[in-house]
Amino acid sequence: MPGRILIILFSAVGTVFFLGGTVGILRFPDLYSRLHPSTKCDTLGACSIIIALCLYSGLSADTLKLILIIFFLLLSSATCGHAIGRSAFKHDIVPWHKPGVKPLPFEGEEN
Amino acid sequence: MPVSAMLFVLWLVFTMKTNREHLLMGAVVSVLIGFFTSLMFNRKMDANFSLKLLVKFPLFFVLLAWEIIKANLDVLRRVFAPSMPVSPRIIAFDSLLETDLARVVLGNSITLTPGTVTIDIEGSRFYIHCLAEAHQEDLLQGRLERMVAWLFSEGPVEIRRLR
Amino acid sequence: MSNFLLAVALVLMVNAFLCLYRAVRGPAIQDRIISINIVNTKTLVVLLLVFFVTGTPQLYIDIALVYALLNFVVTVAVSRYLEAEGSELRRHAWKNPDNTV
Repeated sequence: MPGRILIILFSAVGTVFFLGGTVGILRFPDLYSRLHPSTKCDTLGACSIIIALCLYSGLSADTLKLILIIFFLLLSSATCGHAIGRSAFKHDIVPWHKPGVKPLPFEGEEN
Repeated sequence: MPVSAMLFVLWLVFTMKTNREHLLMGAVVSVLIGFFTSLMFNRKMDANFSLKLLVKFPLFFVLLAWEIIKANLDVLRRVFAPSMPVSPRIIAFDSLLETDLARVVLGNSITLTPGTVTIDIEGSRFYIHCLAEAHQEDLLQGRLERMVAWLFSEGPVEIRRLR
Repeated sequence: MSNFLLAVALVLMVNAFLCLYRAVRGPAIQDRIISINIVNTKTLVVLLLVFFVTGTPQLYIDIALVYALLNFVVTVAVSRYLEAEGSELRRHAWKNPDNTV
């Protein structure tokens, strides 16, 4: 039955993305880098598990609400990442960088 | 008024009932909320919505979804690699887009695509955190900006295309 | 099939507990916000999985929607507050430069 295989595939892919997000949160060196797994991997993991649930429940009224949740997650996680990064930027937190890389665009002439 | 129409569609999705009472209630509430919102934002919101946008948006969304999947595979590769090949930096660039809505869409698209997160927007200047040098080059080629300019039909004419 | 979905939910819960390490340990406040945001997203997905496996999702799917909204509002509100606090700190540091913040 191809439906079951699709459900298992989508939820397994979502779990792998969530796992990647967790490992990224624990491993990356500074705050701005931790924003990347939190905005990207988490969103796509949640989206693919919700798609699996859409297939699991079949076509009904719930499917529309699930699609609505997907759209809202895509919109909100990007905005959340932007808000967190902006508050860190306003706190003058300098990003971790490799030696020889210029980390900021303005070389400290601001404030 | 587009706000009211959107809220009414949302009401239909949430209640899933087609009684006369429910429909009337939803219509009244969505028209009221649309009216107060347009009072609050000084009628600036309605200018950007159009039917052409509704046709163009699904195509834009499909292209964006492909970019999102590529972004996720890239971040996953960098997370699970033992040597962790990242070299983060913050860069600034100036956008050619004019309206606020187009800038918001561009910022959100940048956040969802490979290795870049929008940190701050001041006027037309974007501050963007890149995870590695390849992402910086990708970003400065300006493909996403061209796509958003095509979506909203604004900015210089020669950059309004999909590729 | 439902057993598989429950196993997915279990793995996600273990992930959420691992994320709490960053919330406890993270050097900046923003690290903690990121971690709480991720835990909230995972909770949303676990909630949906449990509802769909145990049946009757028609009643409870609205709860998941409201949870997603709450997650967004809480994160944006806390980081806006921190942003205002950051510009306040910077202004005081500018007023009396001897006082290192």
